[in-house]
Amino acid sequence: MTSMASYQPVLSISKPENKEENQFDIYEAFQRILKDEQMSPPLAAILALTEVIENSNAGTMFELVNALKDGAEILKHRTPNPISLNAGCELFIAFVTLLPHDSANFLDLKRELIRQGEQYAAEALTYRQKIADLAVGFIKDGSVILTHSYSRVVMQTLLLAHKRKRISVFVTEARPRGLGIKTAEALTAAGIPCSVILDVAVAYVMDKVDFVLVGSEAVVESGGLINAVGSNQIAIIAKAANKPFYALAESYKFHRLFPLSQYDLPSHNSKILAFTQALQPDPPGLMGQNPADHSGSADKSQIKMSPGLDPHPPVKITQEQICQNNPNVDYTRPDLISLVFSDVGSLTPEGVSQYLVGMFAG
Amino acid sequence: MPVPSLTDPPSTSTPAAAPAKPQGQPSQKSMTKAERRELQEKQRAAKAALKTQQPQGGGGGGGQPKAPKNPAAPPKKSQSAETSKQGASAGKDAITTADDTTGGNAVSRSLRIFSHFGLPKQVSHVKGDIHPAIIRLGLLFSEFKICGANARCIATLTAFKSVIQDYTTPPNHTLSRHLMTHLSPQITHLVSARPMSVTMGNAIRQLKLEISGSDIDMVEQDAKDALCLKIDNYIRDRIIYADEVIQDLAGSKIKDGDVILTFARSSVVEKILLNAYGKGKKFSIIVVDSPPLLEGKALLNKLTSGPNPIPCTYALLPALPSLITEVTTVLLGAHALFSNGAVYSRAGTALVAMMAKGHGVPVMVCCETYKFSEGVMVDGFGKNESAPMKVTKSTGRPEAVSPSQTLEILNPLYDLTPATFITAVVTEVGLIPPSSISSIPLALGKTIL
Repeated sequence: MTSMASYQPVLSISKPENKEENQFDIYEAFQRILKDEQMSPPLAAILALTEVIENSNAGTMFELVNALKDGAEILKHRTPNPISLNAGCELFIAFVTLLPHDSANFLDLKRELIRQGEQYAAEALTYRQKIADLAVGFIKDGSVILTHSYSRVVMQTLLLAHKRKRISVFVTEARPRGLGIKTAEALTAAGIPCSVILDVAVAYVMDKVDFVLVGSEAVVESGGLINAVGSNQIAIIAKAANKPFYALAESYKFHRLFPLSQYDLPSHNSKILAFTQALQPDPPGLMGQNPADHSGSADKSQIKMSPGLDPHPPVKITQEQICQNNPNVDYTRPDLISLVFSDVGSLTPEGVSQYLVGMFAG
Repeated sequence: MPVPSLTDPPSTSTPAAAPAKPQGQPSQKSMTKAERRELQEKQRAAKAALKTQQPQGGGGGGGQPKAPKNPAAPPKKSQSAETSKQGASAGKDAITTADDTTGGNAVSRSLRIFSHFGLPKQVSHVKGDIHPAIIRLGLLFSEFKICGANARCIATLTAFKSVIQDYTTPPNHTLSRHLMTHLSPQITHLVSARPMSVTMGNAIRQLKLEISGSDIDMVEQDAKDALCLKIDNYIRDRIIYADEVIQDLAGSKIKDGDVILTFARSSVVEKILLNAYGKGKKFSIIVVDSPPLLEGKALLNKLTSGPNPIPCTYALLPALPSLITEVTTVLLGAHALFSNGAVYSRAGTALVAMMAKGHGVPVMVCCETYKFSEGVMVDGFGKNESAPMKVTKSTGRPEAVSPSQTLEILNPLYDLTPATFITAVVTEVGLIPPSSISSIPLALGKTIL
């Protein structure tokens, strides 16, 4: 009875606060934090989650963890590519659940968690410097480096290497977002000889390159790498040409995920690699057999197309269509990666997986 | 099968139990350890045969304990006849050796390099104080009625529970010190029925640890109950619950429209497939099977019977290359997993994994952590088992060739798949690349598996 009685008022108090909580939008917070040029998605996710704690009226650990999980879920659904922020959410929630605490007061504990989260994020910003220091040791004077797209940690490493050694850099254009151009502009401004190459010219340039250096979205349990699309093909070409393929990854990007193939990634959806709608309605028997086919949309197209009866309608394929049809990230198998440089050391892909297993399986 | 005669070259050392050694025989010092052990076992068998003074001709199918001839012929005579015989045949038969004594199959003349595979021995007589449950289990093992790694481990532990319950500590002994000496002959009996599996080894090691750790001051019945509870918990935590977690993890990797290939029969894989299909995932299965055991038939039966049959294709191993292009994922079971990431599983598994790797199909091995072995294995020859003739006869085609004087049939039960051919190992602690297997025991904070 007493517990009921004491529970009642809490409930009535919590209700108005609940509305306030609804006004707090974790996604907005995430986007706001992400505006900081130095902030990467996993860290932004951690900071957004600390704001969830701040705004939450949870009275118990269980409620708090649930609130965090809900927040992580919202972030995951509203972000087009959730892989890297997932790593951050996972890390922070694991930290919150496992944190040994003796604070008698739950408010103190919350304050402590927020402090720890913010402290971690602040500390994590120094990881790039650590990685750069580590990776520079592997860069010889006069090296020709191939990099892909834009990565803050790669930039920092290259700029640091430039201070001590003579390096020149090839950077892929990285379509469709063209972030490679951003890299090239920044490097040229810093005085590093740099050349933008087409994504399709990687094999052409590979023989001139000493090694490949890429950043990462996430490093997964298999020891493989998830990074901007195109990394996988660069890794394959580098392997074929016997050039080392180095990845740079802060340890908060280590992600408990085991993709078996490209299509096993969380970012994969039915839109990616969907075939353009058939101009001639296919025989119905064939439609059903194609596993990649999404019969719902195909059926609609059939219905639309058949009344038109125009044998050769003008076909136009826009850049947006191509973008929609293509993945943002791809998965590079561990056997293609030479080393992963992170703030916990330079690890082989096996070492990464052992580190991850040790971190989460324990 | 022919009664071993004097022309049977391998029977050489048989009754040589005694000092006088046939000249053809190398001196004991120059023999390898295995050879010496073989000789010793033969001598022991000869002695046993002499003791019983009757050829045990009536023994069950394939396995006829050898050397029935000694009792018939006086040792001296047979020996001299043999030595001459051996002199003639020694060179020619140098490579072939009979392990009929050890194997219990008088016809078998397997190559020396396979002699250690060890056929299950005929459980002819029971030595010492063996619990009936263990005797029964021994028979089930040697007849391959209980065959899988999980099933054997569970059956062994369950039998040990009744052994423990029926055990009374003799006066002036403590349970924690004496029970193990009581269990050892039971274990020996099981091992003589069929070589111990890694799973049984791990479970027994854990049991020994629990026994030695049990409180001396505890009332005997309480201590026994506590041990039985520990056994139950082990079965529940390491096998039953582990399987459930593995079902979820592996099931999440199965997607609509997938074609899953599996080889032979694994209890875990069977559960994964049934569970995933029960959850409404639409996929089809290719069951690849291989003689002599043809265990895939049983799996096929389980998958296609029942209220919700799964679309299946059944094929034998030679058809694999033509099927592998259709496959999206390969799911395999395991007998044991070594710390170098190699998977010890039913013979043929390595072939499937290699073929899948060659075609870029992901290979998932489903394996509970209690199947992990601390050892390292580099090939399937170091340790293996031969399928006994009667088992292969009963499951395979009846017209299958039978061995003769000039024909040796080799049916290894297991093979080893190197870690490079495996994409992921599904364990109850998550999907793990085979290269990181060695870090699991450490991550679990265990020194013993």
